[in-house]
Amino acid sequence: MRHIALIAINFFREQRWPILVLMSWVFLLSVLGLVVDLRKASDDVLFIFKQGVGYGILFTIFFGASAIHNERKTRRILAVLSKSVGRGQYISGLITGIMFAAAIYSFAMGVTGTWVLGASGFPAEHLWLLMLCVMLVCLLCASLSVLFSTFLNPLFATMATGIVLGLPAVAALQFRSRWAEVVPAYSLIEPLMKASSGSNEPVRGPLLMLALGEAVFFWVCAFWIFERRDIAVAVD
Amino acid sequence: MLPLLEFEDISKEYNRFLGSRPVVALEHFSLQVETGEIFGFLGPNGAGKTTAIHLAMGFMRSTRGHGRMLGKPFGDARARSRVGFLAENVALYHRPAEQLVRFYGALNNLKGRVLKNRAREVLEAVGLDQEARRNVARFSRGMQRVGLAQALVNDPELLILDEPTSALDPIARVKIRSLLLSIRSAGKTVFLSSHLLSEVEMVCDRVAMLNKGKLVKLGKTSELLQSGQETEIVARGITATCFPAAVETDGVVRFTVPVAQQKFALERVWELGGEVVSVNPVRRSLEQICLEVTGQQPEKSALGVGG
Repeated sequence: MRHIALIAINFFREQRWPILVLMSWVFLLSVLGLVVDLRKASDDVLFIFKQGVGYGILFTIFFGASAIHNERKTRRILAVLSKSVGRGQYISGLITGIMFAAAIYSFAMGVTGTWVLGASGFPAEHLWLLMLCVMLVCLLCASLSVLFSTFLNPLFATMATGIVLGLPAVAALQFRSRWAEVVPAYSLIEPLMKASSGSNEPVRGPLLMLALGEAVFFWVCAFWIFERRDIAVAVD
Repeated sequence: MLPLLEFEDISKEYNRFLGSRPVVALEHFSLQVETGEIFGFLGPNGAGKTTAIHLAMGFMRSTRGHGRMLGKPFGDARARSRVGFLAENVALYHRPAEQLVRFYGALNNLKGRVLKNRAREVLEAVGLDQEARRNVARFSRGMQRVGLAQALVNDPELLILDEPTSALDPIARVKIRSLLLSIRSAGKTVFLSSHLLSEVEMVCDRVAMLNKGKLVKLGKTSELLQSGQETEIVARGITATCFPAAVETDGVVRFTVPVAQQKFALERVWELGGEVVSVNPVRRSLEQICLEVTGQQPEKSALGVGG
């Protein structure tokens, strides 16, 4: 566990600038809370909030898709894996680091959202339930993008993650198909995307469990593949 | 006693894109490194040295064959906790040197005061104790020394170094050399891959030479350096013209003859009324041996060896 924590904290530290950029959404939301009449502009503020959450999920994919590639390209991975660190621990450290960043961001968005959206009548309990869904979607994105990054470059890993997460969304939007729940990222984020100051869709509990199970499955697949990869060869 | 590092008939091929013929980096490579020696690992660029090291560290898998490090199969994380490794062109995270060494030490299961003290000790050993709080990104060539410090932080039984002194100035090189010797005298083992053959000559007990993925020479450094084929004779009281390619300096004539002709040459010196000052077997340099085994014959004058 200590190795995983060390790698996770190290990842977070190395990615501190993109995380700081991401945090500007929290800042923007806070400024809106101070300068806008929240009762009149509640839907606009909710729209900004949704955008912020969306960017958080996108950043999670970018972090995951590029983490291994960057470490291999800079050859820093060699010094880390020359220590008493297993490949599984390394992958787990990366995913934990990404989730650490996602958790801090989601928490900051949740706190700011409770204040800003709460002032316009949005129920705080429902908001935190939605943030839990966002966290699970981030976990799903992180483990899937890290899985693809074990054998694809960041561009293709991002695309592959987008396809696996996006196809169910297309199925849901175009055909209202049950296939949308196969990889339930969209199904989990849908209640937030469709939320308005007037109505809130409920979150389906089984989807949370399914997302968690799939994230663990992708996680295990990622380190099974990474265990068998040559990491010291040129990545380009 | 079990060898500390053992390659057993290992081959490694790199697959190329779209099924063209794979590149063979190592071919039926076998080697054993014993406890308490400094082992030199030599060869031209692309000979497969780094591939062999990366296989031992578990960074890649062999296509055929297998190996053991500290009695465990290559890639075993527990075995790596007793090993120090410095990669060629080491790349490290940009943070203060001491903090960085502590990070790597923590990855090797060190903690608390032991880790703190050990980090300071190794930074002092590599000559960076005064710069422990400086960010390694600001070091011009010090990255290599921080790299060595992180390799030493766990007090390893086996130290694997891939070109450790290539980017260092002569003073730092001398310091690292004496550090390697002190590691050996503490009963530890050093596996040293280097292009700096003069250094290898000075510190290594045994050397292995690799060429095109194959082991082409293995032996004790002292034995390899003795050519066994030529003798250098130093004499006084004769002129340089008496022997082909003889050199005269301050009245002393030096020349080299094949061992088979040594007796004849000595008798000739005495016949000419000269006095033999010394007779010594010619020492070859590792550079010369390296060029020979890789099939590149140097010009004699360029090496400064022979008569």
